[in-house]
This record gives sequence, structure tokens and C-alpha cells, in this order.
Amino acid sequence: MREASVIAPRSLREALRAVGRKGVVAVAGGTDLLVRLHDVAAGERPSFLVLDGVRTLHSIAPRGKGLALGPLVTFSEIERSSLLRTLAPQLVEAASVAGSVQIRNRATLGGNIANGSPAGDLLPPLYVLSARLELSYSGGRRQVMIEDFFKGPGETVLRRNELITRVVFERSQNRGFFLRLAVRRALAISKVSVAANVSLRNGRVQSVRIALGAVAPTVLRASRTEEYLLGRELDRDSIETACGLASGEAAPIDDIRSEADYRREMVGVLLGRGLLRIASAR
Amino acid sequence: MKGPQDSATVARVQVSFRLNGVSFRKRVPVDWTLLRYLREGLGYYGTKCGCEIGDCGACTVLYDGVALNACLILAPQVDGVDIWTIEGVAPQGERGLHPVQQAFVERGAVHCGFCTPGFVMSTIALFLETRNPSRQEIKEALAGNLCRCTGYIQILDAVKTAASRLRDRDLKKFVSRRR
Repeated sequence: MREASVIAPRSLREALRAVGRKGVVAVAGGTDLLVRLHDVAAGERPSFLVLDGVRTLHSIAPRGKGLALGPLVTFSEIERSSLLRTLAPQLVEAASVAGSVQIRNRATLGGNIANGSPAGDLLPPLYVLSARLELSYSGGRRQVMIEDFFKGPGETVLRRNELITRVVFERSQNRGFFLRLAVRRALAISKVSVAANVSLRNGRVQSVRIALGAVAPTVLRASRTEEYLLGRELDRDSIETACGLASGEAAPIDDIRSEADYRREMVGVLLGRGLLRIASAR
Repeated sequence: MKGPQDSATVARVQVSFRLNGVSFRKRVPVDWTLLRYLREGLGYYGTKCGCEIGDCGACTVLYDGVALNACLILAPQVDGVDIWTIEGVAPQGERGLHPVQQAFVERGAVHCGFCTPGFVMSTIALFLETRNPSRQEIKEALAGNLCRCTGYIQILDAVKTAASRLRDRDLKKFVSRRR
């Protein structure tokens, strides 16, 4: 039987030295991790690398023309950040509807990413913001685009000796939204979610990114829908066609939270709501 | 987290924290949750153990002035933190309840009482942010707490009643020194 312990580093250097050790699991907010470990017997539990004390992982700061967020930024901090409200409205919308007050006060950006759930609410916004992840290990670091980070449900390219140390994205003055459906408003995992980042010029779509959550093994870009919308006006016809296309791009399954057919249908409904909102805000 | 583990043999780590205004320095089991440590380690049974997966809110405590589920925090993570539980809510050395508790009693917001400590802590966390919350703000602030008896209307009324009576000194002690 292995003796569990707890490691509470004060610096990133110390944290990176500890993260690769056998039996060590990094804890950010712990709101998913502790649920998963709930029924794990004593003696089978990992040693916890508690990251709270590493101050540099908590920041929200401008970087170049963009923004750099520490992985320990909580959902509540995202929700309240006036900087993010202007520059990443999708991310703020997603952070304010996930979980409950108690969960949002604790759950983190980095944890939501590392957890790797296709239903993670912050992920579709990060896809449409073209976020880049900085992964650090003792002695170096590498960059991975958010779309290349996930391999499947709960599976990522993060190596055992690495931590997510920054989430970076460009400033976006575009219009965006995040919409989701779940069994109730609070404390429910998304059945389906849609995020978008749209810029209009002279009433026409100049650029558009759309990401779908909980309808495939990983979050999915709706690239055919994006292609269709480029250069078009957002009117009733184009939105309706886009909704149909997006439904077709989803690859959902039946599971305890919902059914494939319903999810596919709702991808279109949510995208339609969001696009109409953008069209009528002009 | 459950486990047959004997608390005498479990690995421990030293932490310092404030609980209900009193400073503690304790060796806490490394893989216990704060909830288990409050109840089994310190004998503070006011914080209720419901679902243990962050769904029911019965274990809500104030953690540096904000509401958290004690079942989703490791006991070692309280190092340097200011924690308030239901035991610390009523004014010390005086008779009577805190205005939030009093309002819950008067409005019939307490039936079996199991969820009440969590609701009271979430309500105090809400008042630390806004003293005059709208009904919608109250609903959002309490969305992480489940009640299976009263049906919520009485609870919302209780929060409204408490808001109308609250004085500055009713909240002062809960404001974290770290924030």
C-alpha cells in the first residue's frame, strides 16, 4: 500500500519538479477530481500536488496584443473580469452558467481544460478564440493549439511531467456567444453547447468561428458551416441554412444526459438563437 | 471521500487556518476533504454531509469570504484560509440567532433542517456581495443548494426578510482579512 502525501509548492519550479513523480496528481480547483476520487479506496489514492500556492498561475494579464490567463483563474474570476467581458464575451458567458456559485468559486480554467470532457463549458469558447496553451515541464515548455490538445473524452496530449501554465488568445473585438442546454440551469453538465466568434463588415460575415460542445468525442469546429457563412449577410435564410449545416456536422451519441437525435437538432436551435442575437444587435 | 482508514495511522500535514474567528494549527489527514475533517476531525457536525460530490450544497462553508462546497476541498488546502461554518454564525456570547437564521425560522424556511446550514452560509456569502439582492439574484446565489422539503418559496422569502433587517455589524466578522 502506497502512502499518500500532499505536496504544496510555492513556486512553479517546485511544482514542475514534483508533477512527474509516480503516483502524483495535480489539483487545481479539484471540483472534478474529487468527485472522481470519491469512491477510491484508501491506499489507492494518489498523492496530491496542490497548486493553490503558486501565485504566478492565478493571473489575468494582457500579453502583446492578446491576453494571457493563468490556469488557476477561477470561473468566478472570469465571470467578474471586465477585461474579459469586452474581449472574450463567450468565455464570460460560459463561466457564468456553469456549475453553481460554490463550484464557480473553486473550478478553474486549467482544470476545465485538463479534465478533457467534451462537455467542458469553457472549451467551445476557447476554440472560437483560437486559444493557445503553454505546457511547461522541468527545463522547458511547448505551445499547443487548443484544437490539438484533446484526443478523446478525458484524453489529452498533456504529458505526465507537464502542467498547463498559460492560456493565451488574441484580443477579439468580435461579437460572440456561448449557449447551452442542460437538464436544469445550475449544476448540470451540458447536453449540448455552441460557441461562436463572428465579425461583420458592411453587414456581411467577415470572419466566423463556431465550436460545438458535447456532440462528439472532443469539442468540434463546425467548419462547413463557417465556410458557408463567410461573406454572407446574417438574414433569416442564411441563418436557417447554417443551422441545418451545423446539425449535420455534429456527431453526437445517446448517453445518460441526452439522445443523439435531440442533440443534433439542438445544435441548430442554439446556433440559430446566437446568430439571430448577433444579427439583431447591429 | 470515504474510506475505512484509521485516522491514527493516516499521513498528515501541518496547516494553520482560522475557523469561526479562532486560529487553529493542526495536523490534518492528507487526503481527507475539508468536510470530513470538520466533522470527524474537529467534531463540527453543523456542516452537513449530503451528496459529497458538490451537487447538494449541504456542506457549504465560507472560504475566505466566498461560498464553497467543503466536500470538494482537501483539508490540506485550508492552509492560511479563513473559514466560517454554521457554528460560528450566531453572535457569540449573546442569546439569539443571526438575522439570517432568525428569518429562516420565521418564514418557515426550515422543515427537516438538513439543508439549512448550507442555505444560511450561501445566503451570507450573497450578502457579502450585495446587501439588497433581487429575487433573481437570490435564485442564482442559491442554485447550488438543494432543499427537498419547503419548495424554495419560503427560503427566498426568508432571504428577502433577512436583507431588510441586516445591519453592517451582522456581516463584519465574515469579511475575510485576506481579500
